[in-house]
Amino acid sequence: MVLGCALARVAAGAEAPGYARVAGGSFASSLPVAPGRNEVALEPFLLQRRPVTNAEFLAFAQGHPKWRRGEVPGVFADAGYLAHWSAPLALGPGARPEEPVTRVSWFAARAYCEAQGARLPTWYEWERAAAADETRSDARGDPAWRQRILDWYSRPSSEALPDVGLSPANAWGVHDLHGLVWEWVEDAGSLLAGADSREQGDPDRMKFCGSGALTLEQKENYAVLMRVAMLSSLPAAGTTNRLGFRCARDPEAGAP
Amino acid sequence: MIASLRARALGIALGIALAAGAAATPSDSLYQLEIPLVDQSGRATAFDRERGHPLLVSLFYTSCDFVCPTLVSTLQRLEAELDVPARGRLRVLLVSLDPERDTPEQLARAARRHRVDLARWSLTRASEDDLRALAALLGAPYRRLPDGEFNHATAISLLDAEGRLVARSETLGRLDADFLARLRAATSAPPGD
Amino acid sequence: MRTPARLLALCALSAAACSSPESDPNPLAAPPGTGGSAQGDFGPPQGEAIRAALTSPPAVPPATRRKHPAKVIVELEVRELEQEISEGVKYTFWTFGGTVPGSFIRVRQGDTVEFHLKNHPDSKMPHNIDLHGVTGPGGGATSSFTAPGHESQFSFKALNEGLYVYHCATAPVGMHVANGMYGLILVEPPGGMRPVDREFYVVQGDFYTAGKYREKGFQPFDMQKAIDENPTYVLFNGSEGALTGDRALRAMVGETVRFYVGNGGPNLVSSFHVIGEIFDKVQFEGGTFHQENVQTTLIPAGGAAILEFRLEVPGSYVLVDHSIFRAFNKGALAILKVDGPENKAIYSGKELDAVYLGDRAASLGAVAEAAAADAAGELTREQQIRAGAALYNGTCSVCHQIDGEGLPGVFPPLAGSDYLVADPVRAIGVVLNGLSGKLSVNGIEYDSLMPPMSQLNDDEIANILSYALNSWGNSGPVISADEVRAVRESTARPGGAAH
Repeated sequence: MVLGCALARVAAGAEAPGYARVAGGSFASSLPVAPGRNEVALEPFLLQRRPVTNAEFLAFAQGHPKWRRGEVPGVFADAGYLAHWSAPLALGPGARPEEPVTRVSWFAARAYCEAQGARLPTWYEWERAAAADETRSDARGDPAWRQRILDWYSRPSSEALPDVGLSPANAWGVHDLHGLVWEWVEDAGSLLAGADSREQGDPDRMKFCGSGALTLEQKENYAVLMRVAMLSSLPAAGTTNRLGFRCARDPEAGAP
Repeated sequence: MIASLRARALGIALGIALAAGAAATPSDSLYQLEIPLVDQSGRATAFDRERGHPLLVSLFYTSCDFVCPTLVSTLQRLEAELDVPARGRLRVLLVSLDPERDTPEQLARAARRHRVDLARWSLTRASEDDLRALAALLGAPYRRLPDGEFNHATAISLLDAEGRLVARSETLGRLDADFLARLRAATSAPPGD
Repeated sequence: MRTPARLLALCALSAAACSSPESDPNPLAAPPGTGGSAQGDFGPPQGEAIRAALTSPPAVPPATRRKHPAKVIVELEVRELEQEISEGVKYTFWTFGGTVPGSFIRVRQGDTVEFHLKNHPDSKMPHNIDLHGVTGPGGGATSSFTAPGHESQFSFKALNEGLYVYHCATAPVGMHVANGMYGLILVEPPGGMRPVDREFYVVQGDFYTAGKYREKGFQPFDMQKAIDENPTYVLFNGSEGALTGDRALRAMVGETVRFYVGNGGPNLVSSFHVIGEIFDKVQFEGGTFHQENVQTTLIPAGGAAILEFRLEVPGSYVLVDHSIFRAFNKGALAILKVDGPENKAIYSGKELDAVYLGDRAASLGAVAEAAAADAAGELTREQQIRAGAALYNGTCSVCHQIDGEGLPGVFPPLAGSDYLVADPVRAIGVVLNGLSGKLSVNGIEYDSLMPPMSQLNDDEIANILSYALNSWGNSGPVISADEVRAVRESTARPGGAAH
């Protein structure tokens, strides 16, 4: 069984270097699909094992002038875009090459992934991959898993950012989904949870068609709540110092 | 001598005019997002099709039976508040959240149902990816529900002739006085006209 | 014409029940009082916009002294900081303005507040603010959701006077509040607050750490303890010692002081009391009307109170939450140090400071002598017995009597006790662990309860037993401290037992 898993990982690696395969199936999300419905049907997908680094993003900026600091249109990235780099095409001491790239907007992250023939993961895909700890694909029932994540939240951001990949891989072979940086997802702008979580279940009907703002299930899953809050707090052109991203891909047709 | 000087001056003036006409899209213009659209007559077009005119833009979908009809009637009410010349300068762009089901035929049917003025209105659809980028740009989150309905925030954005966001309103069913004032200003006659 | 006259007569008899159309009160009018928010809008702001002077606790900004509504600009910055919650114990606080509680905001009823919330770029979390003095959705929370490195702005009109809590309302709200994201905003009544000599700003909060109280090192927030409402610390102004020692609040005799006290929670209700003082005036819950002559006032979580009292006597006055274990075991203690001339007529202070030894008068010397001799390794039998006598009197003698005779049928004698003399080592266990149930001493049955005296240390028990075994006709051995220790160690104790 272990050997089979290892082989599957290697196979996925060969198909797309740097990507791990996450299985599809039914997944209970903290963000309901519709009020009262938490089960999401996920297709299998590939997820980058590590967040995108400063070095990788620099290479992208070199090949895509439109996404360089100073040239990127204001509607796609705010004034904080890559502010920690010493120059539009130079990292400098404030941005080590192997650190996850931060201060990038959703538009920029999307453009990077597109340039790799990839895309951003959806929230559900990210949540699925992040539910794992080192040995279990779904560790969310374990209070110790939740507490570890909360412990990271309680340390201030003034500490230096470590390089990617230093923490152990989780059960899917993916690193750093927790404890390093927040990460963009494709539908970050439409998580549709109210910023004031106390008003859950009290939708303003004229504002939201359909069933009103989604309410978050499993309110004790604070790790998720905080991530949703973080992603909802920024517009798509927004950047902030602990928010990076990684890319996802659909498996090649015919791959296992 | 005088004639050649005048000719040169004219040439320079023309050159400047041409350069101005071919100016790059401003950094704060939403038209930086270049996405193809298909309108209700099946014609391929683009998001910046109404460049050069003030534009009201919003997201909707034809099978939406609660807020979207109110959205359309709000847009029409806003238009009705303008005098005829101002209305003539205004354009309206609706982009569907549901490109799968909102085919050009569906869009055309919706246009007829709401009796919109197709000389100035377009009902369009985009690809899913492009739609997400447009929604992000407009600050209009949406989410597809399993029953095919959408959870979406309803906002009307007013862009100037160069695609810059001038005003935004989430008020439906009644007139937003501030937004209307901005709309009047955006559609008023340009100086020298 | 008779009918209207009769009507008027009836009205005169029962004025409340009926009235003519001219005097009919509008049933929708505000009841007597300030009129609440319906009468809180004094019109548009006048004059130049004012930048609010915010203060860090325990200071309070000066009175606005305004007679008209104004536009007030408030700029408040959120910072996530690692600071000491107790000596040697570090905690990551999320703060408004760099302090717990956050900056004090002071405006006047009817002011239009333009609120700027900034989130420092080093923050890890988004934050927002809910001010309890705001009338509007979320108290501002929906309009102020701010990512790190960003700023939000919203405006509100302060329609109601009073003292209000503000706090962060970002999910999960309890965690943001537990990390210190709260403060107070005072909306002055139109006539201003009555002048006093000093004003102070104090906010109580409960804190939840993974480690125990005063366990050193960095302590993360413990979500489960917060859900269980089992705080590790209960503190005034965010840390142990925030308002003690050289950071104690200071005032002078003769002054009238006012405290603006909040309770940020997240969970506990406070029973606020100042030891040695009585609140002359309490605006309970931070509202308009007040109570007088109050010892302890309840401050709900997410609530506040305004207290006033005059200082007549110098000394240190201790502010506590009178759920008293919080004060002495979790840190809910602050000091108001009052200087100035004494006033013996009101409080005499200590009138006599003589040693009161009770039964032990003139005998404590023996204990000291024995202790010294023991330390020198020269403890003699006589010294033990003399020390034991001093200790026995006042402790054991209460039940077993000075002469060791006990109380017939109730407390067994020690004088000539066959039970005692038969097994001195057993006696050690009895003193340490207590004894209950039937026993027979000198042929008489006793069925009493002797409580364990495990708070006595090994030397004390050894000396007491040596005394008992060598007095009143008993001629037994002396007991050594080592023997007592052996018995103590071999006795199982419940977990958490103090001794």
